[in-house]
Amino acid sequence: KRKFEPGTQRFELHKKAQASLNSGVDIKAAVQLPHGEDLNDWVAVHVVDFFNRINLIYGTICEFCTEKSCPVMSGGPRYEYRWQDDLKYKKPTALPAPQYMNLLMDWIEVQINNEEIFPTSIGIPFPKNFIQICKKIVCRLFRVFVHVYIHHFDRIILMGAEAHVNTCYKHFYYFGTELNLIDRKELEPLVS
Amino acid sequence: MAPKATMVIMAMTGGTATSFPMSNHTRERVTVAKLTLENFYSTLITQHEEREMRQRKLEKVMDEEGLIDEEKKMRRSQHARKETEFLRLKRTRLGLDDFESLKIIGRGAFGEVRLVQKKDTGHIYAMKILRKADMLEKEQVAHIRAERDMLVEADGAWVVKMFYSFQDKRNLYLIMEFLPGGDMMTLLMKKDTLTEEETQFYIAETVLAIDSIHQLGFIHRDIKPDNLLLDSRAYSTVGTPDYIAPEVFMQTGYNKLCDWWSLGVIMYEMLIGYPPFCSETPQETYRKVMNWKETLVFPPEVPISEKAKDLILRYCSDAEDRVGAVSVEEIKSHPFFEPVDWDHIRERPAAISIEIKSIDDTSNFDEFPESDILQPISVTNATEQDYKSKDWVFLNYTYKRFEGLTQRGSIPSYMKAGKL
Ligand SMILES: Nc1ncnc2c1ncn2[C@@H]1O[C@H](COP(=O)(O)OP(=O)(O)OP(=O)(O)O)[C@@H](O)[C@H]1O
Repeated sequence: KRKFEPGTQRFELHKKAQASLNSGVDIKAAVQLPHGEDLNDWVAVHVVDFFNRINLIYGTICEFCTEKSCPVMSGGPRYEYRWQDDLKYKKPTALPAPQYMNLLMDWIEVQINNEEIFPTSIGIPFPKNFIQICKKIVCRLFRVFVHVYIHHFDRIILMGAEAHVNTCYKHFYYFGTELNLIDRKELEPLVS
Repeated sequence: MAPKATMVIMAMTGGTATSFPMSNHTRERVTVAKLTLENFYSTLITQHEEREMRQRKLEKVMDEEGLIDEEKKMRRSQHARKETEFLRLKRTRLGLDDFESLKIIGRGAFGEVRLVQKKDTGHIYAMKILRKADMLEKEQVAHIRAERDMLVEADGAWVVKMFYSFQDKRNLYLIMEFLPGGDMMTLLMKKDTLTEEETQFYIAETVLAIDSIHQLGFIHRDIKPDNLLLDSRAYSTVGTPDYIAPEVFMQTGYNKLCDWWSLGVIMYEMLIGYPPFCSETPQETYRKVMNWKETLVFPPEVPISEKAKDLILRYCSDAEDRVGAVSVEEIKSHPFFEPVDWDHIRERPAAISIEIKSIDDTSNFDEFPESDILQPISVTNATEQDYKSKDWVFLNYTYKRFEGLTQRGSIPSYMKAGKL
């Protein structure tokens, strides 16, 4: 099993973070709210797209992310994530990573399928707490990246998909920070 | 536009030389994920630029018209509103309600294919309906998903275009371009055999189609006449996934060369009138395929040219020395294809013309009895739970892709001549 020494981990990530898809886009510029655009609509379309892409990324390693390999959902030894929702897990609960991921993806899907939260018809307004809900989604999606990077990135490299994951991560990072959707605290496990 | 570049990028992914153990499901997922991400990030730039261009154009037009500031402000906010509506449209999901089912035009292993009309635009599509329960049972989810993504990603003229996909509890729905020519199977049933020239044409077309799929990093595995669809100019296009190469049945592994075997079997059928291993039962067919060295014979009562026979035998041989093992050029330069102008093949009229009366003409398709696939099901809570836990593999079917949106209303040009 892969172990990370503090320090090396940063170095490794830094090195791997160099690899990215050469899309020729200034991704940072691409996430900025265009002039005259509605913030809610801009955030909504990004959140849905990121959900789909991050779901695809987790799908590539989910065969290797098992209750045995990852008995607790974590991002390295220092960060443990507990699941909480309004249904079964009223208190934050430590869960095996695959279970946590399932709950997480299902929960996000429910949110973005909810017309009252993510209206799709033209002219229907977003709820007042829309950005609040998106912050929670972004924070949870970020944890998928943390887990994939720290526990399964060796697989990603073997698959030759590091450039893909890095690009998506970079995009997501810029999106979350540019639009103030993510707490600095959440970013810690992957700071490089 | 952007999709053109996509083909080039995707070809790069084709040779994923991963050598650590993972299941085929995962392998396919990896390919699909990589393709999707590459595609996304290669279109991101165009989308971003296009948006900026629209804005610049607006400013230019307003200057030319010499508008006063007040009017400019109003136009800008109108423009911004349109952009916002466009963003929302990207998130608009489609469902069964948005389509009128006109006719069943095909049946497959997991469901059926219907001719449908989109209610708001009146556009005609083929809707492939796949029953989730059947797919899960047959462990085909990853495969179908790969198919969906292959259809979506491929921009080649060779692959059926996919516009939208969505799901409900029971089924997955793929909304594809409707190819009114019917499939090769129906054609073969009507014509019995094809001439050498016609065969040359169709097999050459199919070589290009298969090669385009290989370049995307996919193996089709189930190339058969039913899957070769003809568009209204009677060109064949590869549609979906039993002309199976012997190595596919064995535990020892196979590669993309298995598709060339299938093509050899189809070519035999086109010229001889029946496939070489055809039998009363699938078991017997299987036995014959596995013993192809004894069973692949050419009936003396249907004489065919030496070049044709040679090509069939080059296709239907051990994978190691099968034609195409080196490169697709090996196939293209086979003497059977000597008269074929590979670079301009699509510009020639199809060798057999198929009469299309109107855009929703389905006379080239067999008749199918009505089915209950679209009937709503009343599920008990137990099965509901069951479906829920399984649902997650289909998550990505939920959202219509941006490409689907930008193609909104754009239908293949040959259809536009129809009575829409
Ligand atoms: N885009 C299309 N336009 C017109 N007809 C189509 C289209 N797609 C499929 N069909 C028709 O529906 C039939 C069944 O579809 P298809 O072969 O895709 O199903 P399948 O599940 O792949 O079947 P199988 O598993 O037997 O290959 C085809 O043989 C063809 O006649």
